Amino acid sequence: MDASTRTRSSSKKPKYSRFTQQELPAWKPILTPKWVITSFVTIAILFTPAGLLCLWASEHVVEIVDRYDDECLPGTFSANPESYIQSKNTNKTCVRTLKVPRKMIAPIFIYYQLDNFYQNHRRYVKSRSDKQLRDPDDADETDDCKPIDHTIGDAPIVPCGLVAWSLFNDTYKFFKGNKVIDIDKKGIAWESDKKYKFGSDVYPKNFQKGALIGGGELDESKPLSEQEDLIVWMKNSALPTFRKLYGKINTDLEANETITVVIQNNYNTYVFGGEKKVALSTANWIGGKNDFFGITFLTVGGVCFLVAINFIVLYVLKPRPLGDPTHLSWNRNQGAQ
Amino acid sequence: MTSNRPSLPTPGSTGSDLSSSTSSNNSDNNQIPNLHSLQNSSSQLSIKSNSWRASVNFGSKGVSVADSEGFSISRREINEDDARLVYVNDPLKTNETFEFCGNSIRTGKYSVFTFLPRNLFEQFHRVAYMYFLIIAILNQLPQLAVFGRGASILPLASVLFVTAVKDAYEDWRRHKADKIENNRLSSVLVNDQFQHKRSKDIQVGEIVKVSADETIPCDIVVLCTSDPTGVAYVQTINLDGESNLKTRYAKQETLSRVPGKDVISGLIKCEKPNRNIYGFQANMEVDGKRVSLGPSNIILRGCVIKNTDWAVGVAVYAGRETKAMLNNSGAPSKRSRLETHMNREIILLSFFLVTLCIIVSACAGFWLRRHQDELDIMPFYRRKDYSKEQVENYNYYGLGMEIFFSFLMSVIVFQIMIPISLYISMELVRVGQAYFMIRDDKMFDAASNTRFQCRALNINEDLGQIKYVFSDKTGTLTENKMEFQFASISGVDYSGEKIEFYGEQGGYNIQVDGQVWRPKMKVQVDSKLLKLSKTRNDTKSSKEIYDFFLALAACNTIVPIVVNTSNPNEKLIDYQGESPDEQALVYAAAAYGFMLIERTSGHIVIDIQGERQRFNVLGMHEFDSDRKRMSVILGYPDSTVKVFVKGADTTMFKVIDESLNLSVVKSTENHLHSYSSIGLRTLVVGMRALSIAEFDTWQTSYEIASTALMGRAGLLRKVAVNIENNLSLLGASAIEDRLQKGVPEAIESLRKAGIKVWVLTGDKQETAISIGYSSKLLTSKMMQIIINNNSKMSCKKSLEDALVTSRKLINVTRASEDDASSVALIIDGTSLVYILDSELEEQLFELASKCAVVLCCRVAPLQKAGIVALIKNRTDDMTLAIGDGANDVSMIQMADVGVGISGQEGRQAVMASDFAMGQFRFLVPLMLVHGHWNYQRMAYMILYNFYRNALFVFILFWYVLYTGFTLTTSITEWSSVLYSVIYTAIPTIVVGILDKDLSRKSLMTYPQLYGSGQRKESYNAKLFWVTMVDTLWQSVVVFFIPLLAFWESDIDSSSLGDLWTLAVVFIVNIHLAMDVIRWTWISHASIWGSIIATCICVIIIDAIPALPGYWAIFNLASSGLFWICLLGILIASMIPRFIVKMFMQHCKPCDRQIAREAEKFQNAMEITRNGEIEMNLPHR
Repeated sequence: MDASTRTRSSSKKPKYSRFTQQELPAWKPILTPKWVITSFVTIAILFTPAGLLCLWASEHVVEIVDRYDDECLPGTFSANPESYIQSKNTNKTCVRTLKVPRKMIAPIFIYYQLDNFYQNHRRYVKSRSDKQLRDPDDADETDDCKPIDHTIGDAPIVPCGLVAWSLFNDTYKFFKGNKVIDIDKKGIAWESDKKYKFGSDVYPKNFQKGALIGGGELDESKPLSEQEDLIVWMKNSALPTFRKLYGKINTDLEANETITVVIQNNYNTYVFGGEKKVALSTANWIGGKNDFFGITFLTVGGVCFLVAINFIVLYVLKPRPLGDPTHLSWNRNQGAQ
Repeated sequence: MTSNRPSLPTPGSTGSDLSSSTSSNNSDNNQIPNLHSLQNSSSQLSIKSNSWRASVNFGSKGVSVADSEGFSISRREINEDDARLVYVNDPLKTNETFEFCGNSIRTGKYSVFTFLPRNLFEQFHRVAYMYFLIIAILNQLPQLAVFGRGASILPLASVLFVTAVKDAYEDWRRHKADKIENNRLSSVLVNDQFQHKRSKDIQVGEIVKVSADETIPCDIVVLCTSDPTGVAYVQTINLDGESNLKTRYAKQETLSRVPGKDVISGLIKCEKPNRNIYGFQANMEVDGKRVSLGPSNIILRGCVIKNTDWAVGVAVYAGRETKAMLNNSGAPSKRSRLETHMNREIILLSFFLVTLCIIVSACAGFWLRRHQDELDIMPFYRRKDYSKEQVENYNYYGLGMEIFFSFLMSVIVFQIMIPISLYISMELVRVGQAYFMIRDDKMFDAASNTRFQCRALNINEDLGQIKYVFSDKTGTLTENKMEFQFASISGVDYSGEKIEFYGEQGGYNIQVDGQVWRPKMKVQVDSKLLKLSKTRNDTKSSKEIYDFFLALAACNTIVPIVVNTSNPNEKLIDYQGESPDEQALVYAAAAYGFMLIERTSGHIVIDIQGERQRFNVLGMHEFDSDRKRMSVILGYPDSTVKVFVKGADTTMFKVIDESLNLSVVKSTENHLHSYSSIGLRTLVVGMRALSIAEFDTWQTSYEIASTALMGRAGLLRKVAVNIENNLSLLGASAIEDRLQKGVPEAIESLRKAGIKVWVLTGDKQETAISIGYSSKLLTSKMMQIIINNNSKMSCKKSLEDALVTSRKLINVTRASEDDASSVALIIDGTSLVYILDSELEEQLFELASKCAVVLCCRVAPLQKAGIVALIKNRTDDMTLAIGDGANDVSMIQMADVGVGISGQEGRQAVMASDFAMGQFRFLVPLMLVHGHWNYQRMAYMILYNFYRNALFVFILFWYVLYTGFTLTTSITEWSSVLYSVIYTAIPTIVVGILDKDLSRKSLMTYPQLYGSGQRKESYNAKLFWVTMVDTLWQSVVVFFIPLLAFWESDIDSSSLGDLWTLAVVFIVNIHLAMDVIRWTWISHASIWGSIIATCICVIIIDAIPALPGYWAIFNLASSGLFWICLLGILIASMIPRFIVKMFMQHCKPCDRQIAREAEKFQNAMEITRNGEIEMNLPHR
């Protein structure tokens, strides 16, 4: 009957350890009013100046943006912009003048900005072949690239796919008076892409030879790793309104200077009603011009400050001793009756 | 029926009836009379011992509900088609026509080759995995391929892999155990010689020899044993957990033939293998005679031979067809309340999912329609494919199909809205919680050396929400260690001073061959009675005392077993029997000098005050629930014959000849009343001398009855009733069943915790009430409503009256601000017969719910279940049933949570239970501490998992709105797959296992804290919606801050995706960190570790040139905007939650919050209390 005589084995008593008894030393933070107020005040103190700092930084970024897709469309074609842009015979040159509002210190970044262009569209994102871009032996890896995979003669297109096919091909030339401003087109793509994603021995083949021209053409004598415009373009942007780096200007632009931009308006955004803009911007630690953060941080800081004050008022008007057993529900009910 | 517990008639009754009917079904029962002629046969008496033995052993088991099916199988006649033919000692012939399965067992489910297909097949039985699979398959369709092959399969594969590893490990352990079992050597008759053979090679039909203390390798029919009468004692602990010895018999026809020396052959026809371990039906043809075999002739695999040098039997069932193997079934499966509610919310989540998908597909439809004309050459759509000769649509199936595909694709993308990983996490968490419950040394019972057992792994959290506890009394509230307390002999009460024996030398002992034999258990004796029992003279009182103790020593079915001790000159006598009451009586008799030292089938030897006396057991009538008594007919050495009867007072006084001595009867009745009023269990003993004529009449009728083919049980009962009459009253015994340690305190705690404790017992009302008082269940302040009725009408009336009184009383107490509910309802089984399953149930429920305590006495097992169902069906409250005996099985299975006490009464309750433990008082730590923790943890974990997955889905959803509704994700597919596998999986599991909202001490000091579980404070619809709103806010912050920050910028999709990935993982983990209450190093490691692991994973993913986001994170991290963004997201997303939490904490603190604060600041408060009181006073 007795277990101890039946099984001569030693006691089955669980071995004591702080772990098995769930008694490991532990930190048990409790947010007392002091802590609550301190944390809100701290956030307020941190965020308000941070917001101001962001605003200040954003304020120091000088940015010139010019929309030209409608301005560069000759009036005769305004009813039918697609025939203008698709035609090989129309004059695509367009001149725009921009005024520099404040002094812009080099490097000045030149961006083109597209609106309403879904570079993150599923069909578009998938229509590319990274293998083919990397290795000349993988030129046939075009399965994902449909409908831009082969020429009618069944030769693989390099680079294949919608992404490459739709390469942006407007060009900009900048003039200060009559003097050309040099545009540095080197180093606009990520080094990592140039080194590892786009092969230095992969050359464009059969590119843009189809019935429908999507955009820019490529120099077949230059390897893909040197085609920085393509590399930049093929880095799919995250949002339907995006900028891409066109080049850099390595000279300062003085305030109130007028600069002329000569645009070759080749790229067809008219088909989907997209906008085209050219943007010149300086940059600092916050990136481009962006007031959003400053406002957000100021709001958060302000809210926290108000909350802190409210809590202080609450704690003063309605204090509750911590851990007071008389507040326990069963004690409270007794007291109430 | 050996279980002589008159006060608890129910457990055996079914068993006893079944046993008799089984034996009476043996139509071809041609037993030979004179099985055992009596050696000192001056009167040439003979009895048929086999038949009563059969019923002893078979009938004594309570039969659990689950077994009843098995019974119907074994009760059927064996017909020729169904029978299994076993040729004794001829395995070749036996297995010729039908290949019976060999004795090798395989509890392992899989082999190396079948593992993969079978395991997968079994895993896909779960709905959750099917969901995974369907989504993965959908994703493989080219039109719907949202994720790459690898990424889409990975979640499913990892879940399958983890489960498969778990299964494989378990199976490996089973295989190992099987191997040991299969290779155990046993002795088998081959060519008339016993040879060692591995267990797995034993075949049906072979003759197996088993020696003492050996485990039986397969089910064998006993042919002969070392005992000349063919008895073998077996221990069935491996089978049903009962540690007492049971007897098995060889048939007369075979017991004289010793295999190896004599040729033995025969044919056994037995039933097909079934799982009823208490039933067996067969017959054997030996030497042209047909002998019937019953459950007492078979020894089952797993039993151990004890006190028998050897036993030889023929294998009838082997391997997986043995009864032990057929009974290898898992624990009962219940589903926890929390999980049921969770499933409700999961349905809501799937509505969310469908809504999101509909929005996306509808928008996609509108978008396509609006851009209908542009689609052909739109650079990012390009519907027309010009590369072929013929211009055709590329990958476009018409607007309708595109919308449909959008819908399916959005299901694939948003799939983790349904937190499938939650099911796996919950399983892991429950295993972890069970580990800590098992390891809790506060729930270890040193007395029985048993740990807490977690038999069901899916209702841990239910323990935190119990509202009703239904408890058995005997063995649950009490120890079920019977101790003889008082005796009333011939109207004289011996309840005086007790002498207690301490140490080795005390107590009664006898000298046998120079050795000292003493009973194993010491009993306190009454000094006066001890003196009287030692004096032997011919006074009347001395004679009566002699007869009384002789009756106690003889009138039972106890088997004395001599046990060696460390001292070679000392032996202990261990009384083995199935009834603890009988054991207590025999130990008591031994302490007073009437020591039972030998029992064989035909006689018993009792050492009476140092003088060995041998009595022939001429006949025995088993205990049964109708008579509630048993009797034994003893042949004295001087050839006189007497019948001794013992039984419950109610039935005994009917058969006692009151005319003999009315005053003795009266005073005995008084004593009985006083005994039972202090909670003792009483038995009355009577005796009558039989004349030769009377005995002859009895013997003839007994023979007729026991050979009867039909209605044997009834006939035997009639014979018993005929002889058990006109008895002279010897006296009464009082046995104490002591309360378990800590029971009153435990009940007090449970009551404080708002749990209603109901006691359901088979005991007498007086005993139940007295135990109620001693366990503090009842207090003198309470008003008792007692309902004892014999008809439906009177039941109805008393219920109505009781309702009126209780209402009045409750109104009064409410007005007087007294203890609100102080009504105790005491109701007996007879009344319940009329109430349960009738329209009166409703009234009983109403009444019972008004009462603080409900005591049900004299209830049958099924009534216990009925009472549980009464509550369970009418309220939403959780019920827990706790019990230790077979009679509690139905109640344990009925209740939401069943707890078994692994105690004295066998293990059927434990087998049926969800949790098992050694002591009633462990219920307090189990429910108040572990139950509370488990509930809080699990509830939090479920809500958190909902939040975690929904947050991620919302972020994906917002992005989809900016991609032309095309289900692109900027978060890489690998990150979205790893999100619930690596990035956020571990912390929630760790917190689910380890976090403690309150310390054990607080929970035990303030049992009221348990109420939070009963009130469903940690998981309810409101919390769910609040969580969802918070989720929505956080998703908006996480998504739109970067969106607005990077609008009109040159950010690429992968970089923004990385930002979102990191942001969501950070806030999800910080959200968890804000809710962690107890930070151990493990919580620190898991939470911060997960964040670090995420960063590492993101870096690794971005360091693979083949993936589109190559080097994105490095470019991103070098810009200041990224860091500002992360900081802004973290703070902005957490602020509303933090404000609400702090506000609620201060203004509407829940009990747990206050207790937590008290826990932390109590020490400080206690130290400064004296000084602070004055300072605090002006404030108030």
